[in-house]
Amino acid sequence: MNILIGTILLWALALLVLRRLRRHAPEHLDDVLTRSRATVTFLIPRVFVGLVGAGFMAELLPVDRIEHWFGESAGLGGVVLATAVGMATPGGPFIAFAIGAAALKAGAAWAPLMAFITAWSVMNLNRAIAYELPLMGRHFLLIRSAASLPVPLVLGLLVLAW
Amino acid sequence: MIDGSLIFITALAVAAGTGVWLSEGAGRFREILLAESLFTLELLPKIVAGVLIASALPFLMSRDRVQALIGPDSGMRGLAIATLAGAIIPGGPSVTYPLTIGLMAAGADLGAGVALVSGWVLIGLNRTLIWELSFLPPEFVALRVALSLPVPVFLGWIVRRFRREIRLP
Repeated sequence: MNILIGTILLWALALLVLRRLRRHAPEHLDDVLTRSRATVTFLIPRVFVGLVGAGFMAELLPVDRIEHWFGESAGLGGVVLATAVGMATPGGPFIAFAIGAAALKAGAAWAPLMAFITAWSVMNLNRAIAYELPLMGRHFLLIRSAASLPVPLVLGLLVLAW
Repeated sequence: MIDGSLIFITALAVAAGTGVWLSEGAGRFREILLAESLFTLELLPKIVAGVLIASALPFLMSRDRVQALIGPDSGMRGLAIATLAGAIIPGGPSVTYPLTIGLMAAGADLGAGVALVSGWVLIGLNRTLIWELSFLPPEFVALRVALSLPVPVFLGWIVRRFRREIRLP
């Protein structure tokens, strides 16, 4: 249902933008449509393969051991491990926050949880493969990832030192 | 059409798919393949709309204005604006990425693009308010948001510095 509302909103915005374009710069309309068609043809196989691959990877992830990795005795190693797990955790916010909440209930410390949520936010492999790589290109993804890599570790360590 | 990144993600998908087939059988393999194929179809209209917006946006916005706001010389203020935009724009990856492409084509620099995407992934209001708060304790969420707040601006600044040192325009 959520996706339907999002789609309708997005199309409303797209039609609004196209109407403005037709009114203010009609000479570019053909150009925009041709370019959009080329981009969509480029994207579809990539998004499809990305989503299918992410679905398979999600299935292989040992979810039952994640609680164990977040354990109370985590310390520095836990922060590092949580960062790696966060990067590899596929799926939408529902899954990541549910895992985080479950780990917290099982007695996980805040520091690895912080590293996990932050790593999942900035370095999510799933999102990178299914969306960022096909949409933004390798250059953007690599530069943003390289800059973001230390962030989950730094935030996790800050909480650890708190 | 076929480039390195497509080959890379195809190889990953094939490897993971083989793993699922071997460890859980052909039935589960087909189930996942079907579910993700249907999801791609559901996503398709969103992608088309997002691409249309991204392609049209550069022709509608004044380059001077975008450049002044979030261009290469927009300074910390520009990075803060890009971060804020990323944090308040509602919607998932099929909205935020095309929008970033559109803005970058209209004059935003790479640093502002990174700040915008980082603002969305780290402190996106939509996700934090709807999802994170329903799962995690509010004190934890508040601490996470407070620690993350300066990060997108910092990452944008790093990227700008890095770019300037590597090659001057």
